[in-house]
Amino acid sequence: MDNGFALWLFAVSVGTSALGGMLGMAGGIFIVPILTIFGHLDFHVAAGASLVSVIACSCGSAAPFLNQRLTNVRLAIVLETATTLGALTGVLLAGAVPVSFLYFLFGAIMFLSAKQMFAKRKDPLLKKNSVAISGLGLDSSYPDRGLGCEVAYRVERVPMGMMLMYGAGLISALLGIGSGVLKIPAMDTALRLPIKVSSATSNFMIGVTAAASAGAYFMRGDIVTAIAGPVALGSVVGAIAGARILIVVSNRKLRLAFVVILIALGIQMLLAAFGIQVIRSAA
Amino acid sequence: MEGLVALLLRYGTWIASIAIGCGLALAVFDSRLGTHVATAGIALFILLPSLRVLLMLVVFVRERDYRFAAIAALVLTIILVGIFLGKDTRRS
Repeated sequence: MDNGFALWLFAVSVGTSALGGMLGMAGGIFIVPILTIFGHLDFHVAAGASLVSVIACSCGSAAPFLNQRLTNVRLAIVLETATTLGALTGVLLAGAVPVSFLYFLFGAIMFLSAKQMFAKRKDPLLKKNSVAISGLGLDSSYPDRGLGCEVAYRVERVPMGMMLMYGAGLISALLGIGSGVLKIPAMDTALRLPIKVSSATSNFMIGVTAAASAGAYFMRGDIVTAIAGPVALGSVVGAIAGARILIVVSNRKLRLAFVVILIALGIQMLLAAFGIQVIRSAA
Repeated sequence: MEGLVALLLRYGTWIASIAIGCGLALAVFDSRLGTHVATAGIALFILLPSLRVLLMLVVFVRERDYRFAAIAALVLTIILVGIFLGKDTRRS
């Protein structure tokens, strides 16, 4: 196995996971494009490695959010029925969908993510008389450090949230990403969760979502140890580092950098969908 | 509950990472053995979220919250089905 390549994979994973970690997502959305466009890896192999990366990021960074009681684990497990079903559907479809369409879909999701970067996230207004929709007792509260008190919140429109989560799971399995970019807005707007809760809960959930399809990828032989190994290690390092660096860098500049990278890579993925290779492999 | 899950995920991440790290380092000298160890680490990572769901199931049962226990069991089942589906749809 090429040690140089392994080091490159590790470095890329540290970078993407740190970047993602700063905004509460895993790095999958960057890993697959970089691995396919610059690393010239097969799409499914890249997606497989990325799924392992998402799991590593999710598991590696979950503890702080859990201990701060930001993660709504009950809500997570309810929504996970939908994401895992979506992932299952994705696993079934993955064989039937042509790879060029996957590249196209990936590019589209990247542009969608870039658009999401501009959306302002707001905490929901607590409606005094809103009827408790969920009979499952998902409403909860979290300690808000900024406000210095416990903030109660309701979980609304769970069925809508479930449908969106199904879609997120499907995309996750097809493209090898965590779909945090789809889950977070869904939880912000559809479920009307406070921002910190939806970030924490999304981060928690992407691990299970990725695991639901990673198992299938593994059995199919799409998880190549020489690739997924360095990627997983880099992701753990990056996820932990990202949470620390978060404080230092300006949020605005970060989002701007994200948007630029997302669009640049997104264009490459679209080109790849039409069979145009911008970066030639050293043949 | 949150505390237990956090512990599981933290230790699980460490064990899996160390396995992968050792495996990759080992692979420099003994490719086959090193690859096996690293693969085991990767497999552990893939299993870790399922272990987390299993832990939640156990805690729900102990708390006599059977509704959520059933939900957790459902998630676990779906994941297992996925693994078996993968077995049958082998590419290449």
